[in-house]
Amino acid sequence: MTTPERSLPLDGIRVVDLSRVFAMPYCGAYLADLGAEVIKIDTHHNQFVDTTRTLNGPYPDNDPGELYWERGGTFQTLNHGKISVTLDLRSDDALEVLRELVSISDVVLENFTPRVMRRFGLDYPNLKAVRPDLIMVSNTGYGHSGPWTNFGAMATALEPTHGTGAFMGYLDVDTDGRTSPGTVPNKIANSYTDFLASWTAQLAVLVSLIHRAKTGRGMWIDLAMYQVGASFLGEGILDYAFNGRRARRLGNRHESMSPHGCYPCQGNDQWAVIAVRDDADWRALCDAIGTPELASDPRFADPVTRHGNQDALDEIISGWTSSRTKYEVMTVLQNAGVPAGPVLDGRDMLSDPQFRDRGYFERVDHHPKTGLGRREYLTRGWRMSGSDVRIRKPAPMLGEDNGHILSDLLGLTDTRIADLEAAEAIGQTLVGARIPASVPLDRQVELGWTVDYDMDYPSHPPG
Amino acid sequence: MAVVPFGLPLDGVRVLELGGYVSAPYCGRLLADYGADVVKIEPPGAGDEARRMGPFASDDPHPEKSIPFLYLNTNKRGITLDVETVAGAGLLDRLLQSTDVLVENCPPDARPSCLDPDALGERNPHLIVTSITPFGQTGPYRDFAATDIVTTAISGLMYHSGDSDQEPLRNALNQSFYVAGINAAVATSAALFQRMFTGRGQAIDVSTVECLASHLVQALPYYNYMGAIKGRRPVRGSGFEELMPARDGYVIPSVQGSQPWSTVAELIGVPELQDERFASGSGRIEFGEEIHDLLLQGLAQWDRKALHQASGERRLVFGMAQDAGDLHECPHLHEREFFRAVSHPVAGEADYPSMGPRLSGVEYEVRRHAPLLGQHNGEIYGEELGCSGAELAQLRALGAI
Repeated sequence: MTTPERSLPLDGIRVVDLSRVFAMPYCGAYLADLGAEVIKIDTHHNQFVDTTRTLNGPYPDNDPGELYWERGGTFQTLNHGKISVTLDLRSDDALEVLRELVSISDVVLENFTPRVMRRFGLDYPNLKAVRPDLIMVSNTGYGHSGPWTNFGAMATALEPTHGTGAFMGYLDVDTDGRTSPGTVPNKIANSYTDFLASWTAQLAVLVSLIHRAKTGRGMWIDLAMYQVGASFLGEGILDYAFNGRRARRLGNRHESMSPHGCYPCQGNDQWAVIAVRDDADWRALCDAIGTPELASDPRFADPVTRHGNQDALDEIISGWTSSRTKYEVMTVLQNAGVPAGPVLDGRDMLSDPQFRDRGYFERVDHHPKTGLGRREYLTRGWRMSGSDVRIRKPAPMLGEDNGHILSDLLGLTDTRIADLEAAEAIGQTLVGARIPASVPLDRQVELGWTVDYDMDYPSHPPG
Repeated sequence: MAVVPFGLPLDGVRVLELGGYVSAPYCGRLLADYGADVVKIEPPGAGDEARRMGPFASDDPHPEKSIPFLYLNTNKRGITLDVETVAGAGLLDRLLQSTDVLVENCPPDARPSCLDPDALGERNPHLIVTSITPFGQTGPYRDFAATDIVTTAISGLMYHSGDSDQEPLRNALNQSFYVAGINAAVATSAALFQRMFTGRGQAIDVSTVECLASHLVQALPYYNYMGAIKGRRPVRGSGFEELMPARDGYVIPSVQGSQPWSTVAELIGVPELQDERFASGSGRIEFGEEIHDLLLQGLAQWDRKALHQASGERRLVFGMAQDAGDLHECPHLHEREFFRAVSHPVAGEADYPSMGPRLSGVEYEVRRHAPLLGQHNGEIYGEELGCSGAELAQLRALGAI
């Protein structure tokens, strides 16, 4: 059954994406890049809409505009490549349409609480009845079993709950300026756990598709973000099992390498990192920064003495970095073979030569009604030599594909569609909402939400 | 791939893992957990560099006792092979005849000639070759030296981690290489699925920096939608959605979810918080400092776990800072059978964390402890490849195994 014309891994696979917010919608977007037809189940009723359509922004020029639910940059990033149908699941007829859609689909993604899915009759046993070989991901904070199963969760609060704060935090500094391992947990932030869940769901869906192709069996994937997060910190948890160690917070330092840290550079909030792995790196660094005599300083002669004198060492390194740009620090040290790099912010990333050279950002042309024009989006960390995996279209407008999905795909009669419309079960204009207030950028700087801003930013850098 | 009616999703898939440290081994472990037969290749003598990476079981720096190594390599078999020798490259070629996936993380400028992707693809058109590096196989930084702090910095994630009045903060436990490992497993599985229809393999180029950059779904549009540079968490503000001190550690109070402000205020237990001014997002911005002080007062009366439990019961979404001990003893994780007892002949027995997701009808097992260096040489070279005793002795003498 070899069909060499299958040019994308997921050609012919249909995904029903009931999910909201970050983790599972992003999983759906990746499946679309891989060739799947991904149908986002939207609603035009504000109280049930995916909140990334309405709450996250950022909006072009910080202006939400009339069609703000189509214009959020984070929403666009998380939902590219999909098509959209609106279905108000409070309507029995809409629920029936959804079941019909599932019956002709391969995969369902959802992240409701166990209670909600059962109430709608959309739990796996019920959906399996309409599609016996269905693959379904149920993503929740704590999973569908265990004492915390009914607890809700959001990634920001879940991240330290699954343990990252035990392994990251600034050093404590005493009154004499001496440092010691930190006692205060910190966070990776940026909804870290959502992305771990997204990668985990993608992998589980793909191996389940392989399994289904071999056995004809479907799969229900009970994905607990708490547990997924803990599995990424397994080596730290296992250290407790073997040695009883509960936490290790070393700031930007390392168990064995030194110097190892994040150093200030020229400009506002500009930083570079340096990691000296061994004596060869250390000698190379001393030469590269023009102080070869440091290599023979007895305080820094070997890894052990260097490790014991890091406060002094960091002062010397900071003295050198602070009069240079972060890119200069990278260039000088990398030319000497020493691991070093600039700490990039969003603006830097969009113009960084490595990201640009590899085509990491892909351009998307948006529907004229959205006023988004052409923008670039971050993509994925891998290339496949034999498959043209890429963003195929922007995130869908609300109910943009109602006609295609309801008439062409499901063959609903005009009468039935008219009934859905009359019952307000489908629609393309968000109801019950107001244009979100936007916080002016200078106020955002005051509040510490943003560091700085450019009025003349390019939405897509040339080249 | 053989047709197996039930069992694990990747039963029958043979993976060779030629890589060390974290990224390729984590990719290999995920594939092994889903049922693939993963054979780990280590250089004779020293083995995987992760064997020298602490912490160690009983804090004893022994190559069979590295905790990261033990965690990253369960469910695999292990052989030694020096692919830089002619005899070693010959053996690799023979092994590849029955291999579906080769996962490797050699630096591009130090890649052994036998791993040339074009030559590999020509000789083994069915083969999927997954290469994981800090920056990818192309681009001006391709050959730069990197450790976890460097990949995290260049990915953009580090700038956004930590506090805005201090330097950016490195993330926990080599996370960049774990994230690269799972992304590599995703792309590899996509290629395996595609191959079921086309019969063809392909090369996959994984960049650690790009995998992590894909997390920045807020910070990037912040710039190319409105020119703003998103920073680290603000040190001022109400304290909601941030780590705050409770009586016995840190918690994250949260207003997210669908419950009204009055429920949040009631849980925290300070009567002054029941104030209409605080009930809206904009109010919590405007009166942030006032709320912050009241929140500190209230949280000082709570222990972490009691607050987390009470929040869950009220359908709120508070979090708490847990350490490795809390997680290892967590009743919820135990009820979900997250821990599996693994017995290792040198490191001893311990309860290991297992997989994140649970799949219906798929019984996750730790089938094997992490391999001892060269543990399966006899089994794989002798029984599977059919090398004679004399041949094996000669390969040993040549330093190939």
